[in-house]
Amino acid sequence: MSGHGFLLANYVPGTSPLHRAPLWLKFLLVLGCGMASFLIVDWAAAAAALAVMCALFLISGAGLRRLVRAVRPVLPVLAMIGLFQWWQLGGPTAARIVLNVLVCIVAASILTATTPVQRLLDGVASLARPFRRFGADPERFALTIAIMLRSIPFIAGAYSDVRDSARARGLERNPRALILPVFITTVAFARQTGDALAARGLGEAETDTQSGPGAKTQPEAEKPTQPAGPGGHALP
Amino acid sequence: MSTIVLDRAAVRVAVDGRHAPKTLLAALTLRLTEQRIGVIGANGSGKSTLLRLLNGLVAPSSGTVTVDRWDTVRAVREVRRRVGFVFTDPLSQLVMPTGREDVELSLRRSVRNGRERSRQAEATLDRFGLLALADQSIYELSGGERQLLALAAVLAVDPEVLVLDEPSTLLDLRNRELLRRTLAGLSQQVILSTHDLELALDLDRVLVVDAGTVVFDGAPAAAVEHYRALCAAGLPASGAAGHRPAPENLQPVQLHPERP
Repeated sequence: MSGHGFLLANYVPGTSPLHRAPLWLKFLLVLGCGMASFLIVDWAAAAAALAVMCALFLISGAGLRRLVRAVRPVLPVLAMIGLFQWWQLGGPTAARIVLNVLVCIVAASILTATTPVQRLLDGVASLARPFRRFGADPERFALTIAIMLRSIPFIAGAYSDVRDSARARGLERNPRALILPVFITTVAFARQTGDALAARGLGEAETDTQSGPGAKTQPEAEKPTQPAGPGGHALP
Repeated sequence: MSTIVLDRAAVRVAVDGRHAPKTLLAALTLRLTEQRIGVIGANGSGKSTLLRLLNGLVAPSSGTVTVDRWDTVRAVREVRRRVGFVFTDPLSQLVMPTGREDVELSLRRSVRNGRERSRQAEATLDRFGLLALADQSIYELSGGERQLLALAAVLAVDPEVLVLDEPSTLLDLRNRELLRRTLAGLSQQVILSTHDLELALDLDRVLVVDAGTVVFDGAPAAAVEHYRALCAAGLPASGAAGHRPAPENLQPVQLHPERP
């Protein structure tokens, strides 16, 4: 079943200092790591930053296994990036780029492992509140994050499923057999998610001018309905 | 009890520019007022399209669909507040990684206070016996538990009508029984499509859909009988030699009268 892939750790209940830290501080940590990935130019500094992030993750009590599970899905992609950069720009640059990406992933995992999703969504909605004056709906920002959190593991899982199917048919070397099915599955998944959100009334605008029980929306009187005519119901 | 009215509602889709639009559902006029209504029919017969009309997931190409006089196109928000929808595959509708988070997501619009939202989510999960599984990944739950969770997430916002698209198709016998009991205990009006004919027999009224048309509408036992005959008549002659009833032996179409 698609969706079993993991990227970013799920919330782990706990009372560690990271669990108790204010949300804005954890947001700042992730933001800082993202910015640092552009600023750090020394692979040793990137390695040190990764060590600090891993230590923080372990302090949170989420455990080494979850840390490995959070990082593992991106390792093949990172290996490809690393090899390419090594060939193009040399070993130290390749190591710096790969380590910086890992720093960002572990930092994001610290946030998701120590913050209940609903609190995360509340935080995103609060951050987005100033945009309300421009007509934006803060809840939609929160919903976007929720969908992102759901979609990343699904796509990782879809890739893993497709790779297994391709292997079973001896097509593991054919990029078309790997990429196209993942692409199609992802589009189908996006449509399903859209349907599911629509059915639950999630992601709809806060103000719906058409939904009031006015004359435009509600008929003045219920029309009498007739059973369907026999023509429409005849058996073949 | 809600009243759902389909007034000559039809669904057609354009396949390409050269061919005429394909009819998924022929013009249909129905008034759905019973507590438990079922829709049965072959794969691809139009059951899902019919159900999707009821909460605005599909808009009629012509005619109208109303739920308590709210038009499913013009007042889709009001309609979705009244009509909850449960999909065949719960994984396609559960958005969050755990059950607790998913139920809380359902409540985000209606309950602004975080603590109250958590309390209500917990109460909903408890009601469905899912509290112990609330913090487990949805991928670690069994098919039955996931389906119950999808049901709980939809019922958390207390819709008046619950529409379920083949809710038991992916379930084993035990989980099907569990779902059946759960549905029987709901106060909501329930409209579901199913291939589980035993489940259909529990309902108050059953529609049989074939090739985009409602070919039978009436009491469950008669509807199931009609559907069985219809299926037998559609089997290839070689595979069903000796069992295939002549078309003239099929029960005549019963158009449902205006129901109370």
